Amino acid sequence: MSDPEFLALRNITISYGRSVAVDDVSLTVPQGELLALLGPSGCGKTTLMRAVAGLLPLTQGGIVLAKRDITRVPANRRDVGLVFQSYALFPHLSVFENVAFGLRLRRAPATELKQRVDAAIAMVGLTGFESRLPRELSGGQQQRVALARSVVVRPNLLLLDEPLSNLDARLRLEMRSELHRLHRDLGVTMIYVTHDQAEALALADRIVVMRAGKVAQSGSPEDLYERPTSGFVARFMGFENILGVQPDGLSGEKGMLKIPTAGLTDARALAWRPQNVQLGEGPFQGRVIGASYQGETTEYLIESAAGLLKAQASVTAPRHTVGENIAFDLPVSRAVRLLEV
Amino acid sequence: MIRIAGFSVLGLALLFLLGPFLIIAGAGLSAGDILVFPPQGFSLRWYAGVFEIERFRESFLLSMELAVGSTALALLLGVPAAYAMARYEVPGGEWIRTIVTAPVIVPAIIAGLALLRYTVIPLGLPVMAALVLGHTALVAPYAVRVVTVSLTHLRPDVEEAAILLGASRTGAFFRVVLPNIRNGVMAAFILGFITSFNQVPVSLFLTGPGVSTLPIDMLAAMEFVYDPSIAALSTLLALMSVSIVLVAERLLGLSRYV
Amino acid sequence: MFADRRIGLALAAPAMLFVGLAFLLPVGILLSESLHAPSGWTLSRYITFFTDPLSLEVTLRTLRLGIGVTIVSAIIGYVAALAIVEAGPQTRGRMTALFVLPMMISPVARTYAWIVLLGRTGLINKAVVGLGLSDEPLRLLFTETAVFIGLLQLFLPLMVLSLTSALENLPADVIPAARVLGAGWLTIFFRVILPLTREGLIVGGTLVFTGAVTAYITPAVLGGAKVLMLETLLYQRVSVANDIATASVIAAILIAMSIVTHSLIRRMTGMRRAA
Repeated sequence: MSDPEFLALRNITISYGRSVAVDDVSLTVPQGELLALLGPSGCGKTTLMRAVAGLLPLTQGGIVLAKRDITRVPANRRDVGLVFQSYALFPHLSVFENVAFGLRLRRAPATELKQRVDAAIAMVGLTGFESRLPRELSGGQQQRVALARSVVVRPNLLLLDEPLSNLDARLRLEMRSELHRLHRDLGVTMIYVTHDQAEALALADRIVVMRAGKVAQSGSPEDLYERPTSGFVARFMGFENILGVQPDGLSGEKGMLKIPTAGLTDARALAWRPQNVQLGEGPFQGRVIGASYQGETTEYLIESAAGLLKAQASVTAPRHTVGENIAFDLPVSRAVRLLEV
Repeated sequence: MIRIAGFSVLGLALLFLLGPFLIIAGAGLSAGDILVFPPQGFSLRWYAGVFEIERFRESFLLSMELAVGSTALALLLGVPAAYAMARYEVPGGEWIRTIVTAPVIVPAIIAGLALLRYTVIPLGLPVMAALVLGHTALVAPYAVRVVTVSLTHLRPDVEEAAILLGASRTGAFFRVVLPNIRNGVMAAFILGFITSFNQVPVSLFLTGPGVSTLPIDMLAAMEFVYDPSIAALSTLLALMSVSIVLVAERLLGLSRYV
Repeated sequence: MFADRRIGLALAAPAMLFVGLAFLLPVGILLSESLHAPSGWTLSRYITFFTDPLSLEVTLRTLRLGIGVTIVSAIIGYVAALAIVEAGPQTRGRMTALFVLPMMISPVARTYAWIVLLGRTGLINKAVVGLGLSDEPLRLLFTETAVFIGLLQLFLPLMVLSLTSALENLPADVIPAARVLGAGWLTIFFRVILPLTREGLIVGGTLVFTGAVTAYITPAVLGGAKVLMLETLLYQRVSVANDIATASVIAAILIAMSIVTHSLIRRMTGMRRAA
């Protein structure tokens, strides 16, 4: 990772009329990093990505890529590749010609062109499919063509817009590891836009979570998974039980669970994953209103004074039935402290 | 019972629509000098003879040139307009669409008269130029509509992909958009050609002495020609249209665009 | 969607300018003539037109033929379209093609056929005389009936095609469902089919009506000077007497009818998209 500020986004704001899609976002990406832009739909991640590609004008701010200010460089001269969610293959061109498209525009010599295209097609495992048309390929194969087409021109930066969202679950896992391998082999800097936290956690060197046009939190996958700082990120990372810290207890949407909170005044809220809720004993009382068996674990929905809580118990733990009154504990030691609800 | 009645009405409707063509086709086969059906005797002389009538030959060629020229011009104007409306946020886009498709709403004879009085005469335009103006305006809405339909089948991000691979806007249009709407453009050309070739009312006022389109000439000839030549010509024209449409349907799926 | 408005405008401008200047402007001037007289702006040309017995007769005949052709084509159209939809999908495609075909053929050729059929020595008169139904050949050409038949032949396909597509979009099984409930065919038609295909009927109806009302070739060939319609009257007035006053009023009437019917179609198709 030679250049720590290979891609630098400086105070980027993008607005349409009155609505602000991206609000003063700054971030830097070191060369060779795979950064995931994570967030729910409408959080501005796709808008930001399209602006980096040059498909949308910035309202304010600047972009530097490989030491070159590309803020006003048109999209076709940015050296930025983009793999579209829909793949956007050229319907009238064969696999070979789709991949060769960018090289032909760059007037690559015939022998070099053939060599590079063949290599790119081989890299995504589609050797033998060169003369097929996109409509004759499966979704996963189209995805591979789109990848090969983008990387064959050796862009400075490769953007991927929800690239796996149109694939079925099994293929998605397969492509995930494929992408990982590609990133490792090519060393290209990548920004991966997704709403799927599992994908982001599995693939990224670093994750930036976006919310309402702003960066909510950024850090390594472990940082985000273990130490979310806000309720928004915590919920995204699977902390399903979030309770506010009050002077005399923990507050949920319905009411309070009374416990001493003297040592917790630095946190605004506490968050637990379902498996960290202890069932069977503890200071609080609740009632089981839902139980769903999931093989290794069972998930329970508990009605408490603070509202609904989600708990998970392993197969070895005693089983509870719906309607049963139950004691439970929310151990502070296993909670994450949030600075924002 | 109901079903049988339904199918007989359908059959009668088709007979009503297509039967007359069989009759003129047959009348054109007559060996005699008068237009009658059933034909008197059998000969191909009227079919062969059509090509000998200089007046029809001239106006046929003129109609061909006019139809090809004005359809090409309409596409040259209509394709960029359709593309702009499909892909760009054009200010006042609905207004533009209304203006460009307005010729559909104005009866052609009125357009012809207005063009003659307020454009052709004041500017002293030659007859052919006048005809091209009128026909292009009439064909343009079809060109816009058909091309719009085929543009909706092409995702805009395909163009973005081309641009990100290094193509300019124009380059992306010619390398990616045009090859993919080719069938639509060809369908528009065929529909425009047929519309222009068969068009009468707009040409009524615009044709001049010695320069006339084929359908106008045929209309004029009906008043004094009583031999089977017009029947033969009508049949040939019908066959021409039908074969163009059938070939186009095979190759392009023309009916998707009608 | 690309954001650059200037490029979009530049691409649309040639077509817009062409149609605007070469088409709408002259048509607009012609229309303005209808409100114009040497003395200034006035409705006098309309008053003159509608008080002239011939003009009034032609206007009423045009409307009468337009409405008549629309109604008859709707009746035939429903029966034919129901039969087409009843048939299997393959027959359906072929039948549709058979109705599309005549629309592509020169209306001059289509109209000419009726001269062969309806003329004094035409097929029908031969049959009538031959069967002894009449001693003399009937006068069939240059009658309103001839014009009616010609217009019906020209525009019936439009009605059949729009009704066919409306019937194809009918929810599956509504007709069998109604029959199971014991409805007779007339009840099914008026209570189920008609309300559900109303849009198709209106679209087809307006296409047929505007087509018939603004027809030129059919009344010119089959009606002649005896059975004038608005467009043949316009042509006659302009070419014989250079009478722009009448022509501009006819233009205004026809364009007004055309705008009303087209906006009706647009409303109907817009509603379908919204639904």
